[in-house]
Amino acid sequence: MSEIEPLLEVKDLCISFRKGGGRKLPVVDAANLSLYQRQAVGIVGESGSGKTMLCRALIGTLPRHGAGIVSGTVRFDGQELAGAPERVWRGIRGREIGYIPQSSLAGLNPVLTVETQLVESITAAGSISRQQARQEAVALLEQVQIPRAQQVLKARSHQLSGGMRQRVMIAAAIAQGPKLLIADEPTTALDVTIQREILSLITQLRRDLNMALILVSHDLAVIEEVCDDVMVMYAGASVEAGPVAALSKAPRHPYTRALRVSRVDRAVPGQDLEAIPGDAASVGSWPAGCRFWPRCALADEACRRDSQPALMPTAQQLSACIHAERMAELEQ
Amino acid sequence: MTSSPGGIGARTLPLLRHPVLRRLAQAFFVAFLLMVFAFLLIRLIPGDPAMILLGDEATEEDVIAYRKLLGIDGSIPSQFGRYVSNLVRGDFGVSIRSREPVLSIVGKRLPVSLWLTVTTIVMTIGLALPLGVAAALYRRTWFGHAFQIGASVLVATPVFFSGLLLILLFAVQVNLAPIAGYHAGFPANLYYLWLPALTINFVLVPVLARILQSSIVETSAEEFVEAAIIRGTQGWRFYWRYLLRPSLAPTIAALGYFAATVVSYAVIIEIIFNLPGLGMTLVDAVRNRDYPLVQGIVFLSGLLVVGLTFMADLVNGWLDPRAQIR
Repeated sequence: MSEIEPLLEVKDLCISFRKGGGRKLPVVDAANLSLYQRQAVGIVGESGSGKTMLCRALIGTLPRHGAGIVSGTVRFDGQELAGAPERVWRGIRGREIGYIPQSSLAGLNPVLTVETQLVESITAAGSISRQQARQEAVALLEQVQIPRAQQVLKARSHQLSGGMRQRVMIAAAIAQGPKLLIADEPTTALDVTIQREILSLITQLRRDLNMALILVSHDLAVIEEVCDDVMVMYAGASVEAGPVAALSKAPRHPYTRALRVSRVDRAVPGQDLEAIPGDAASVGSWPAGCRFWPRCALADEACRRDSQPALMPTAQQLSACIHAERMAELEQ
Repeated sequence: MTSSPGGIGARTLPLLRHPVLRRLAQAFFVAFLLMVFAFLLIRLIPGDPAMILLGDEATEEDVIAYRKLLGIDGSIPSQFGRYVSNLVRGDFGVSIRSREPVLSIVGKRLPVSLWLTVTTIVMTIGLALPLGVAAALYRRTWFGHAFQIGASVLVATPVFFSGLLLILLFAVQVNLAPIAGYHAGFPANLYYLWLPALTINFVLVPVLARILQSSIVETSAEEFVEAAIIRGTQGWRFYWRYLLRPSLAPTIAALGYFAATVVSYAVIIEIIFNLPGLGMTLVDAVRNRDYPLVQGIVFLSGLLVVGLTFMADLVNGWLDPRAQIR
């Protein structure tokens, strides 16, 4: 890595749900992520792996979901955000970090017009007249390739298709010209054809606006298409991170390898898909030792005994598997 | 962007595609049913106005002759025919007991009940709105818990009991309201009405505040609320646009419904506070089997209820466009 400071650096981040009686339920444990200006990083993992909670930590809305940061650091543009007060977050959210929420089909207020909500985004950045804000709203809609922008401005959520709503959400997220855009499963709820359009829109906007991008998905294929780097999460921990090409050609963690071979787009007709054995470790019942060992073919005594391994450099990437070198042999 | 017309009614009559007109047509249909029920209900109760008026001594012939005089002779269908044709001409008939036209009795008594209803509803909104919002925002604090317990206790307290307690407190201990009675004319009549209205609100406010609280709690978990926070929406704008406005629909619908129950609460309340409203008149009329008067009161106060729910629907349609496409 170079000596330039990353735009965002997450180190050993731990997040817990607060339960009654002061008890805590860890949901993210040892998440690591770093991202430079204009870089696109993907986060991949099964549901319950802590991807979304990690994103919420990056925009400071964990308390809304009854969770909080327990330890670790989140440095963004030279500023520490872990444990930052609401006052600091107000300067970050929307302005520095744009966010496209997971179920963004429900991301628009059903009782307000698109215009009202877009103008809110635009005026939040600074004082600007209503007339100017309106013009800017039209420009934003055109930027996210919405035809008949004037008409869409007057529409409410229920009058728009899923793809349109998602475009409006993207417009609201980029309204204040953020340095970083976080898209949490931006295409899950959409038709396959529209998924492609939204992904290429996000890619194009990122280039046009010089934004860095964090794209969360459970689908490795989506991330390969859009991102430079990828971070794989399993049961709240980062298990592998590095350039997309390296992880897809030569994974150094058995979980990444499993994700790759279970991909539908690599399926051979007439042949069963290779599923990952066992169930994903769910929050609250993570196994002791390496969290992947119950589903892992390489697991041995050490995996069961020692704690979750830290990310260690190997080949071109970082891996949290103590058998990373054996993986290299297996690949051949 | 065309929204497809929903519902069966929309497909049959093109005119009814407009949601307001559709609601209006529904209101007229309910008014018609009301007319039929007002006629049938009082006749379902055993007892005969002629027999009640003439007493035990009367002969069979006297009763039959008197029935003819009162206009309640003949079969039920023929009575119904006369009732409807008179009603269409605006003739509600004459009270059997006092021989006074039903419309003039209702005209004297209805304003009292109307004022009671309006005062009650204004008070309900003024109390339930802030309470519901506060109970939602502070639901995890001592206030939220106190609200839950207090609301359950109040809802379970019968109005005749809370009414007497309130009289004891505000009319006897501190002289802020009269013990009973009424004088017409706004705003002087508010002096007589605020305590009865408060009594009814001891039941209404906890229920409505709880409906509002749970809708706000539900709304605050919505994705669009988080999206607004991330956009940087703050202050009153955030609370009104993202928490309150999307949560109001169930509360307003319930308010329209409860406005209707005020009419029936009024019977008890008017007895406790000795208010000369429709409620007491209705009880007397039922006791006397005063068919025309009962029909008139049930039908006209029913129309009031239909009107109030219609208004609640209109307000909802304006506040929440989703209500119109349903």
